[in-house]
Amino acid sequence: MSSSILTVNELEMSFETVEVLKNVSFSVAAGETLGLFGKSGSGKTTLGRCIVGLEKPSAGEIFIYKKNTQTKQNTLNMSRREFRKLRPKIQMIFQHPETSLDPRMKVFESLIEPLRLHTDLERADLIKRGEELAKLTGLLPELLARYPNQLSGGEIQRVVLARIMSLSPDFVVADEPTSMLDASVQAQILRLMQKIQRENGVSYLLISHDLEVLKKVCNRIAYLENGTISSIEEL
Amino acid sequence: MSLLEVKDLFVEFPSMEGSVKAVSRVAFDVKEGETFGIIGESGSGKSVVGLSLLRLLPANARISGNICFAGKDLFSLSPSELREIRGKRISLMPQNPAGTLNPTLKNGLQIAEVFERRRIGKSEGMQKALSLMKKLFLRNPEKICAFYPHQLSGGMQQRLIATISLSFEPELLIADEPTKGLDPEAREGTVELFMKIKREYGKTLLLITHDLNLAYEICDRVAVMYAGEIVELDKASKVLQSPSHPYTKGLLQAQPRNGLIPLGGQSPSRIKLPEGCFFHERCRHANIECSKLHPEMINYNGGRVRCHLLSLR
Repeated sequence: MSSSILTVNELEMSFETVEVLKNVSFSVAAGETLGLFGKSGSGKTTLGRCIVGLEKPSAGEIFIYKKNTQTKQNTLNMSRREFRKLRPKIQMIFQHPETSLDPRMKVFESLIEPLRLHTDLERADLIKRGEELAKLTGLLPELLARYPNQLSGGEIQRVVLARIMSLSPDFVVADEPTSMLDASVQAQILRLMQKIQRENGVSYLLISHDLEVLKKVCNRIAYLENGTISSIEEL
Repeated sequence: MSLLEVKDLFVEFPSMEGSVKAVSRVAFDVKEGETFGIIGESGSGKSVVGLSLLRLLPANARISGNICFAGKDLFSLSPSELREIRGKRISLMPQNPAGTLNPTLKNGLQIAEVFERRRIGKSEGMQKALSLMKKLFLRNPEKICAFYPHQLSGGMQQRLIATISLSFEPELLIADEPTKGLDPEAREGTVELFMKIKREYGKTLLLITHDLNLAYEICDRVAVMYAGEIVELDKASKVLQSPSHPYTKGLLQAQPRNGLIPLGGQSPSRIKLPEGCFFHERCRHANIECSKLHPEMINYNGGRVRCHLLSLR
């Protein structure tokens, strides 16, 4: 496997008196999909949220490597401003597609919003890039003028993927991205994620309670039990 | 004997862009004591069929066809006659238990409400509810009654809904997507729960689900729906082990254990349905006839299938 993109060292996290994560350490290589398996309440989502900076761990280190170099930065020591610069490169897909998009914004505007915020592209270029992303994720042009409530769960998850991929992230935490979708749509979304990975070399941390799914799409699977990684299986 | 007979059911919803054909030509029957499953992907019209049975669709829905329950035509009943059937003779376990329970009422009160409507005394009603909760694997029911819904896990909320649905001892129980979004442990619990309902109450069950494993585990017969119509109907073991319709085959291949092979393309627009077979644009075996002529249900290999390719064999 090629160079690392993320290393987590002895991460600890507590909510008041409850210890949610204990001594969690692992790393993810560039272009790799690491599965994270655990039961409800084992701390999977909290770990994902810590990595993208939505929760502040009590102790430990999270290193993000600059792609193709071994220059690493500990995200937990960064100022908010420094972390914000890094943030486009680390993205997260949430479990409930229907709550991931702004219900008042048309799909196409949602899709190009990250580009509008993080780049200096002109409107014409934004539209061009948005259309390319829609094509990459298999979104039909007629869907782009609709509101999220007029789309199915699978279609919304495609919009979310297109939005995330617009900033060419190096690392994506996918938290149960298909648990609310049907088997046929689940297969479409997971295969699409694999296709994007082949083309862009993005790494995934795929969080799921479905071991069959993880075994089908991951390079390795980390098993999380009561907040601790009990083993990491090579596939 | 059939407890429920659905014939030629059509449901349409008017919209700005045109009429949305949610359900077309749906016909099936459910025998007494049988567990009948309706499977298919989201938006295939499964839940609309379930809601039509209780006439719970929005007022703007245009419905035609025939639904007979225990010999009575449900479409010809007055609102007061319908109230005598809803929740009492036909009960619905809706999708999303968390969204169904009243978040401001303690669980005990939500169950007691049901008995109030049956004019059963509060204490007698609670006794009945507690014994039902014990039967449905809810340990320590007194404690659960003192909690609010958000203090229960997804699986526990499911059981609470089951208790409420079964409290009237209905002749037909409709369960809509009972395993959606549940983790494997809670899902296993739900399977166990339905096995118990089947075994001990001998209830007639109509299960609406996209969980093919659940359908395989608990259904006697299943109907597969695609784009608002039934494309295959047969014994559950047969449909889910050796399917005949290309869509059912595709659904099974998309399961992780069968290779996670996605079905190409997407379901057709329900405003402008394609000519010919609704599945022909995604079907690898489609020929010219499939794109021109809409197939009828035919008897095939002991079951019923809607496919031109099979009628040629």
